[in-house]
Parts: sequence; C-alpha cells; structure tokens
Amino acid sequence: MTVARRFLLDGRRSFVWWVVGAVAMVALTVALWPSIRGQEQFEELIRELPEALKALFGSGEGIPFTSPAGYLHGRLFSLVFPMLVLIYGIGLGARAIAGHEEEGTLELVLAHPVTRARLALERYLAVVGLVAGVTVAGLVAVLATAPLVGLLDGVAVGRVLVAGTAMFAIALLHASIAFAVGAATGRRAVATAAASALAVGSYLLQSLSATTSALDWTSLATPWQWYLDRNLLVQPPTLAVTVLPLALSAAAAVAGIRRFGRRDLRMP
Amino acid sequence: MQRGEVFGFLGPNGAGKTTTIRMLLDLLRPTRGTAEVLGGAPGDPAVRRRLGFLPASLHVDPRYRGDDLFGFLTALRGGSPPPLLAALLDRFDLDPTRPVGELSTGNRRKVGIVQAFMHRPELVILDEPTSGLDPLLQHEFLELVREQVAGGMTVFLSSHDLPEVERVAHRVAILRRGELVAVDSVADLRRRARQRIDLFVSGEADAAAFAAVPGVVEVDARDGLVRLVVEGSVDAALKAAARLTVERVVTHEADLAEVFLEHYRDRGEERPG
Repeated sequence: MTVARRFLLDGRRSFVWWVVGAVAMVALTVALWPSIRGQEQFEELIRELPEALKALFGSGEGIPFTSPAGYLHGRLFSLVFPMLVLIYGIGLGARAIAGHEEEGTLELVLAHPVTRARLALERYLAVVGLVAGVTVAGLVAVLATAPLVGLLDGVAVGRVLVAGTAMFAIALLHASIAFAVGAATGRRAVATAAASALAVGSYLLQSLSATTSALDWTSLATPWQWYLDRNLLVQPPTLAVTVLPLALSAAAAVAGIRRFGRRDLRMP
Repeated sequence: MQRGEVFGFLGPNGAGKTTTIRMLLDLLRPTRGTAEVLGGAPGDPAVRRRLGFLPASLHVDPRYRGDDLFGFLTALRGGSPPPLLAALLDRFDLDPTRPVGELSTGNRRKVGIVQAFMHRPELVILDEPTSGLDPLLQHEFLELVREQVAGGMTVFLSSHDLPEVERVAHRVAILRRGELVAVDSVADLRRRARQRIDLFVSGEADAAAFAAVPGVVEVDARDGLVRLVVEGSVDAALKAAARLTVERVVTHEADLAEVFLEHYRDRGEERPG
C-alpha cells in the first residue's frame, strides 16, 4: 500500500482543515439550537412556506422543524453536512488521478514497478478513507456536543450513525464519479464539472420534485432524492439510501480504473 | 540496443524522442506494433524494477523533500536500500532535506539524476539529461554515466545535443519525424558531420584557396571573412588556412540539422522545408 500511504500523507494537511471545518460547522449548528427550541413562531412560519422552500428547510413528513430530529435533519444532515463532505470528496476524487496527471507527477511514479491498476486502486481507497474520516469527525462532534443542549432528545445514537452512513454514501458517490471521470479522461476540470453537475442538478430536481408530481420519475434517478426521501434520524433507512450509492460508487471506480489502465497517459 | 553500451538517441525537437521513451515506459501504448524492454513488456513491474528513468523535466510535488521522493520511489521498488544514494548525494552536493519546490533548476535536475541512478538499474533511460545543467555539472554527470557503464549499466540517452551524445555514446540512432533514419557508430556519425568554421583574415579573403581542399563543401569569402563548411576531418582545411593571415577563428558545433541534411542527401530525399 505504498501508493495509498503516500497519498494519505500528501493529503494530511488539507484533511485536518476539512475536519476542523466539519467540527466547527457542527458546533455552530448545535450552539444555535437553544434559541430555536420550542419557538412556535418558526413552526408557523415554515407551515406558511411554499412546498419547495419547506423542503429546503428539511421540514416534512410531520416532523416539526423545532424538534431535535427535525432541526438536526434540516440544519445539518439534509444539506450543509453532506455538501461539505461532498465538496471535499469531489476535490479529492478529481485530484487523485487527473489532477496529478495534469501536474505531471504521475509520470515518474508510473515509470516505477507499479501497475496503473494498483496505483489507481490504492489512491481510490485512500480517497474513500479520507472522505470517511471527515464524515466520522463530524458525527463524533454531533454525538459529543448535541446531548449537552438536549439536541439528541428522542433521537437514538444508532439513527445518527445510520444518517451518517447515508451521508457518507452520497458524498462518496460523487467523489467516485469525480475519480472515475478523472481516471478515464485525465482532465481534472472535466472530472470536477461532471460530479458537481450531478450534485447540483440532482439537488435541483429533488427540490422541484417536492413541489410537482410531474417530476415523480426523478425520484428513481437522482441521488439526492434517495437521500432526502426521509428523515433518517427518525425513519428507517432504505436500500436506496445506503447500499445503492455505495454499489454505484464501486462500479464507477472500477470502470474508471479499467479505463485508466488502457489509455495513454497525457503529457503534462 | 546492446547491453553495456551508451545508445544515443538523437533528433531535433519534435522528432518523437520523448514519445518513444514514453512507449518504452508504458506511459503511451503504441497504435501498432509492440515495444520490448530488457526482454519483457514495458508495463511489466518486474521489468520496470530494473529500470531508471530521468524525465526531461522532473514533475514532483513541490512539497516533497528529496528524502521523501527517494524514500517513496525506493518503497515502490520493494524497499531495498538504494546502493548509490549516499554517494550520489555527496557527489552532486545535494541537500535531501530541502523541499523540491525550493530548489534551483540545477538542483532539481540533480534530484532527477539521483533518483534515476540511486538503485543502480540495469538500464537507465535519460531524456535530455543535461539540459539545465551548468558545464561543470554536465561534465560530472557524463563522468557518472561513463563510470556506471564501465560497471555494466546500459544507457539510453535521448538528446538533441550532438556534442553531448558524441562524448559518451557508443552508437547513435537518428530520429526524424518519428522515423529512424540511421543507426551508426559515433565515429561514423562524426565522419559525416559537418562543421562550420569562420576565419577572420587580414588582407584578401580568397575563396579560391579552399576550392580544391578535401572535405570543404562550401566556401564563402568576402570582407575579410571566410566561411567554410567542412565535412569530416578539418585537417586539410586548416592547413590551407595557414597560408592566410588568420586573425580569429570561430567554430560552430555541427548542428544536428546539418547532420540530418547529410542523411537526406545520402538517401536522395528531399530537404524538409
């Protein structure tokens, strides 16, 4: 695992910063809870909102925004937290092959006794590890700080872990697509654009589909719809929210690695 | 290529030298045909373990220290300590604790040289190894190549610089627009190569004095300047020049274009435009 170890070492500084960012974000969200808790006006305000905006707040399925599960979901798990991990993952995934290829640093490494497949696989596993690391750091921060202000009242720790797993799965899916497109094309911008377009596009479709039944079919096709289908802090998970994104991640990575093994390396 | 030789790979920029090297390293896949290195496929890790490679420009994460790079590449090769590392660092006076990004161009070249030779590979592939090296370092580097070849190493030396290749290579291949136009011994190449000599003379510059001199293929004399193009040995031309009052002599290294020109003529090909 020489390649993976080196990749982790190279990424350690930025990893620390992303961990700091995730923990700070969680701390801020938790710190705001006491001023939201029990504010009936909020609930009324949200009830008046159009459906699309309601979805943005993560409100729905009869779970009030001012309950711990509603607040944690709406303020943290439905957008901010997954977005943070997802952006980190897309950057890493695009950099793992395409970024280094464009910088020209793959050339010397690949002149050494390491196959393309091994290099790509080890780097992918390192990406998985780093994305998981930031997720875990954020979850640990939730579990450590939320109980201090009663923000886990009525929410089982197991549910938080399930929600965290689902979040990791959707972030990893986007990271894997960035990795695979980068491995297949050697172009970092293309890899970043593809994964970002999927993230933004599928999020918009999800928001729209919350308001109109004409877009119901998208619920089958977009990762955000799988993820935001339910509040995992109180509702049981589906396969589409955990297993499906992980399976697709693996498939994307394998396809990218295979293509990388067959094509020409680009000149820096 | 034969074992234990320095094989010069000459060609003007854009002839396909680096492309060839990238195929020998399995970075590029040939559209047709196959490449074979040390009796195996270029992509075979067992083959690559026996190689050293010095790229034309070393692209390394600028945060890496020399030690990081040497350690990482050594680990990729299986981890046995590189026998020449300490001696090379000492010889090229390179500080391995400084980040590569902070090194001067020359020192970065040294990092490249050290990593290519440190594990004493059977075959080193050098892509324009001395570009960016000052003459002293260039000398030291070519000295290193000679020593290692004497110790059994085989060297593939790609360059557009004829004098450099002349100094160390045993045989030379000439590449032109992706095609191998000649494989010759260096002695042969030198015999074909042309040199340009400018003689600044006082008194009458007389072209006729050189017209019948063996080896002289072009003479141009005016305003106290005689320009000669000589093929092969310049001995006869210099003896003819001794009859003039020569104030100053300027010689130009035979540039590759002229060597190529020779090849085109031999093969009855057209001169490229």
